[in-house]
Amino acid sequence: MAEASRLADAGLDPVELVQHVDPQALGERVAALVAEGGRFVTLVGLDDRAIGGEGLAVEAVVQRADGALARLRAGLDIDEPAYPSISSLVPAAHWDEREAKDLFGIQPVGHPDPRRLVLHETWPRGYHPLRKDVPAGVRPPPAERHFVPFEVHGEGVYQLPVGPIHAGVIEPGHFRFSAIGERVLHLDARLFFVHRGLEKIVEGRSFPAALPVVERACGVCTVTHALAYAEAVERLTATEIPPRAGWVRVLLAELERLYNHTGDLGNMCAGIGFQTGTARLGWLKEQLLRVNDGLTGHRYLTGIVAPGGLVADLDPAALAELPARLDAIGSELAAAIRSILRSEGVMARFHGTGIVSAASATSLGALGVTARATGLPFDLRIDRPYAAYRDLDVGLVSASGGDVAARFHVRAQEAHESLRLIRDVLDRLPAGGIQAPLATTPAAGDVALGAAEGPRGASWIWLRAGVDGTIDRLRLRSASFANWPVVAAAVPGNLVPDFPLINKSFELCYACTDR
Amino acid sequence: MPFDVLDRILRPLRRGPVTSRYPDRPPDLPPAARGLPVLDDARCDGSAACVTSCPTGAISLSGSIWSLDAGACIFCGACARACPRDAIRLSDQIELAVVDRADLTIETRWKGTS
Repeated sequence: MAEASRLADAGLDPVELVQHVDPQALGERVAALVAEGGRFVTLVGLDDRAIGGEGLAVEAVVQRADGALARLRAGLDIDEPAYPSISSLVPAAHWDEREAKDLFGIQPVGHPDPRRLVLHETWPRGYHPLRKDVPAGVRPPPAERHFVPFEVHGEGVYQLPVGPIHAGVIEPGHFRFSAIGERVLHLDARLFFVHRGLEKIVEGRSFPAALPVVERACGVCTVTHALAYAEAVERLTATEIPPRAGWVRVLLAELERLYNHTGDLGNMCAGIGFQTGTARLGWLKEQLLRVNDGLTGHRYLTGIVAPGGLVADLDPAALAELPARLDAIGSELAAAIRSILRSEGVMARFHGTGIVSAASATSLGALGVTARATGLPFDLRIDRPYAAYRDLDVGLVSASGGDVAARFHVRAQEAHESLRLIRDVLDRLPAGGIQAPLATTPAAGDVALGAAEGPRGASWIWLRAGVDGTIDRLRLRSASFANWPVVAAAVPGNLVPDFPLINKSFELCYACTDR
Repeated sequence: MPFDVLDRILRPLRRGPVTSRYPDRPPDLPPAARGLPVLDDARCDGSAACVTSCPTGAISLSGSIWSLDAGACIFCGACARACPRDAIRLSDQIELAVVDRADLTIETRWKGTS
């Protein structure tokens, strides 16, 4: 209650207050909200013992059609934490439930795929690191157990294991294809090889001290994650940031989208060996990284966004040069995209490959480019605007078809839209301060959510305060986490050699999925 | 279409090389670049504000020796912002590779007055 009134006093939208539900009814309640047009946001495992509670809990969050959040919390017994799995009713929750099972020992009874997810089989049974009685930084001895892949068996079906170590400089993931000839019947994607326990590390830290960890969950969504985290902290502490900080945040977020989309368009060309496209777009991405470096001192834009506003302002000389540089990059980008679209060989590979239907995107909870390429109008900048997006008209980009070509088109148009937004921001960028002190210290147990639409979709931070302005629990549900199961669903029916292309058409992060 | 082909041939000639001469010439770093933090030994008064502000514990102060572990530093600049005497600056030193891990620890003796 205290939180809601404080937020209302500060003129901010209060986060929807939590509703306590019977664990038996959680699935129905979440499914009912989704059926009314809501979108599943996250399911968070919780241990209440450090904030005066007695047991464990799961909390499901749904973004309702009107943009407001519904939080449904089911308290669980510490000795036998179990509840009926909600995944068969709300498939988008299936990884969240497996994660809570690994990290808290909370059993989703009847889950369709109850295998290990975050903690691989070499972690011992009964080790649930996010429980409050498990110390951080202590690694238990490994267990002698082996991964059981999900495979299709039958006459003529063979298994093709790929990774976790790949020929290129990419992150670790194991992809197990079951195929007949070159046609994929099933893909089992195994990730979380680089789980670092970031959510455990930040527990007990002050809000500013957790920022470097959250910001570095991965290397290419740094602004998105810092922004989502800053939004959550600012809601929790009823802090209003100076106007200039809100506009600069949008500028940085769009620069992040722009360099990611530019690089990702090039990587899609790499997926079919079209080196001209890869090289042209790679050089443009490099120019954009140098623009970032000039403005902020960091090519990947870390160390600028912080709770309360910004750590430092943009370099004035680089800011003055920005319009001219972006004009030059923008026309080069348009020319590069035109030449790729005119290449029949490229488009023949893009069209009809890696199709995601709007129905499976909806049920699996696809976000960002993945969702918009199937025609779903999901964009947090429009649905739940934050920072200066409240004062900007963001054009929704979408496509139909849900194939590689559709994802290419969405990225290409969004890159141009980002350039337009940046020009708009530069025209209207207010002068003034960039940092406000955090207004209040939240009470232990106060919860707020923050979110930002990154290059891969919406990343959400679920944040609960502990005692004396520390963090009791932080969950980062990155857009990549939401979209990985969609990749696995897009591949069956395609040829094995099209997998690199399909994978690159999503271009998801491993690091911020694994955390 | 022929104009397109012509454009593709001429464009790189007009533009010239896009690569730089690094390492033969120094890298073209922007003024905002965040390289190795360096201590202005005359300004430091041993307040240790940098030590407590460092999110990775990369800085330590022992007697009059200020020591930075460049292997733990994440170049965030928290130390420079925390210093009450502006004695720390993120320099343009970016070539930090060493053969031995221990050589990543850089020590400076501060001689300012406390």
